[in-house]
Amino acid sequence: MELNSFQQTAFEHQRPTIEKFGRKSWMWTIFFLVWIILGGYALYLQVAEGHIVTGMRDNVVWGLYIANFIFFIGISYAGAVISGILHILNVEWRKPIIRIAEMITVIATIIGPVFILLCVGRFDRLHHLILYPRLQSPITWDVLAISTYFTGSVIFLYLALIKDFAIYRDANLNVPKWRKKIYKALAIGYRGTPSQKKHISVSMNLMAIIIIPLAIIVHSVLSWIFGMTLRPGWHSTIFGPYFVLAAIYSGTGVLIMAMWVYRRMYKLYDYINDKHFIYLGYIMLVLAAGYGYFTFSEYLTDWFGSEKWNSEVIHKLFSFSEYGWWFLFANVAGIVLPIFIVAFPKTRKPGWIAIASFFMVIALWVKRYLIIVPTLESPLLPMQDTRLEYVKYSPTWVEWALTFAGIATFFLFFTLMSKFVTIIPISEFADKEKAKEKVAEKVINPESKVIPA
Amino acid sequence: MHLSLSNLLGLMILFWVPSRIIAQTDTSAKPEVKETTTYAPLITFVSIQKNDNSVDLKTSVKAKINGTLTSLPGLRIEFTIGADSIAKKLGEAITDSKGVAILNCKPDQLTADAEGKLNFNASFAGKDSLEAAKEIVAVKRARLEITPVKEDSLLTVKIKLVDLSTGAETPVPETDLGVFVNRMFSALKLGEGKTDETGEASVEIPNNLPGDAKGNITLLARLDDNEVYGNLEAAVTQQWGVPVSDEVKKLPRALWSPYPPMWMLITFVILMSAVWGHYIVIIVQLFRLRKEEPKTTS
Repeated sequence: MELNSFQQTAFEHQRPTIEKFGRKSWMWTIFFLVWIILGGYALYLQVAEGHIVTGMRDNVVWGLYIANFIFFIGISYAGAVISGILHILNVEWRKPIIRIAEMITVIATIIGPVFILLCVGRFDRLHHLILYPRLQSPITWDVLAISTYFTGSVIFLYLALIKDFAIYRDANLNVPKWRKKIYKALAIGYRGTPSQKKHISVSMNLMAIIIIPLAIIVHSVLSWIFGMTLRPGWHSTIFGPYFVLAAIYSGTGVLIMAMWVYRRMYKLYDYINDKHFIYLGYIMLVLAAGYGYFTFSEYLTDWFGSEKWNSEVIHKLFSFSEYGWWFLFANVAGIVLPIFIVAFPKTRKPGWIAIASFFMVIALWVKRYLIIVPTLESPLLPMQDTRLEYVKYSPTWVEWALTFAGIATFFLFFTLMSKFVTIIPISEFADKEKAKEKVAEKVINPESKVIPA
Repeated sequence: MHLSLSNLLGLMILFWVPSRIIAQTDTSAKPEVKETTTYAPLITFVSIQKNDNSVDLKTSVKAKINGTLTSLPGLRIEFTIGADSIAKKLGEAITDSKGVAILNCKPDQLTADAEGKLNFNASFAGKDSLEAAKEIVAVKRARLEITPVKEDSLLTVKIKLVDLSTGAETPVPETDLGVFVNRMFSALKLGEGKTDETGEASVEIPNNLPGDAKGNITLLARLDDNEVYGNLEAAVTQQWGVPVSDEVKKLPRALWSPYPPMWMLITFVILMSAVWGHYIVIIVQLFRLRKEEPKTTS
């Protein structure tokens, strides 16, 4: 594969990253593995002793695990929706950041459902979900939707990688033979002929179109697991769009954080520049406003209606002796902070935007926790066993260990993937001069067909 | 603004380490169980005298284990009649999953004492960490009779309570009796009546009670927890109910319905076909891409 000068520069800049697994990378890998091993021990305890080692009981049956599940599926939106929309709109500045976005999607979609498995008490009956599915159950919808979404995300990421795999194959990289073989196999004979380019272009366009409604359906279905039940705080018609918006929002936050880390780690200042942070900051601002609107609307109607059970949940969320501080944090860090940071030019800088994203992402995680736990702590029927641990959920170290193991796995996958493929897509860059020539040609002769680079 | 990675990591750890991580006692730790710990079973013992002159002896066995009153299944309960020195064995029963054991005693097994009382004993011999336990019930012999009466469209049951402890049938006046109808899980109370000087009472029965396929309902007359006679029960089955077909009808829309609604099935098939159809088209494109690899460069 021939590279233009811009592609050549971008590739040479990133070549050491994929050729060497440096000391820092090893240290990070070991650090993440320690967390994963701790999580493995916690899982062993959970399987050996049963769910009694968690804070979940027959009243509060969902806790950290389900909050993590929704959170990870939410951030997977970074690749699906953001990169899908930017692809369809053919936004030029998307090119250096789409790979990070798509990697977030695939990795988060792998890790999210693992938390469902951790929450399920009977591993031995798991296959019943496949053998005896009940199409009228939202749980079945969720299993089908997420597996379909995961397949789509992998295809989307792979399509964007084929051209780069061809570049790695032909670049005589200083990597082991097995890796060269993998690059060759994954490049599936791509040589950059016009018809091959067309196949990839058609496929990418199809995927970009289908992945957006698919992602919306997936998160709507996820919200319906709550929305379809007659529980206070859950049974809401706006839960579908509310979840979808929150997911895109948190996905944008994680994307900004990942961009910030990679830009510093691999010195990618020439490719991921301030403009990317500011543009994504604007997107984040709009989403924050939309998310704030949904939040206000959701709680205002519950509060105004004063329905007995809803009022009980609202009281828990507003009471500082219960979840008041968390609720306040979720709204300040999750809505107000990003809006203020992006709104003022003084703070509209990559570092500040990354900090706002960091707190916003945590706030969105807290929000998921607040959706699940206070509602389950407000049963519609009187409790028979009123021991404190049955009435009030409090996660144990086992759940925290598995939560951190999940986060560590997310980072570990990222570290490993960034050593296997370049973070900045090489093939996406057209030669600047050639691009100018093509634009000029298009102006002179509008009938000419411009083949995208 | 530039933040170092270590600063970011520090922030993350600070934030993520939860303040409530040790808020709950780790329940995974096994409680220390002393080998010498024993539990004292609590036996609740009642007798129910039936209108066929038999008596049901019913025990419910529980014990307080780790602060919770727990039913004890699988225990052998021995039932006897008479004072300790001359007690005659009536039989044995094993407690079920709810800790309940019932023994039905025929009239010829029942021997009253000099005062005309039946002295029943229920005893548990002890097993493993459970101590032995015993409970006594002393009741006078009596019988409850139930007679259905239909006058025009008015349905009533006449109930009569008689004392049998003297050998003769003596009516028992001024006693509250309840009338019930058997339902799927337990008896539903229909009304109460107080016996007159002839020991009789009358209770009206509604004419719209759901019965079985033939309209049969089982009516019960009960005297509960009387300090002289204990519990008495009489039952009669009458065709006074509204017949309820036992044919399986089409289920209403519910989560437990065996099949999803048609619209849901159609929507599901359309959505999944659309998405997976796209995937197939893309995979075909990739196969074509592979086929079109120029041979000179391969």
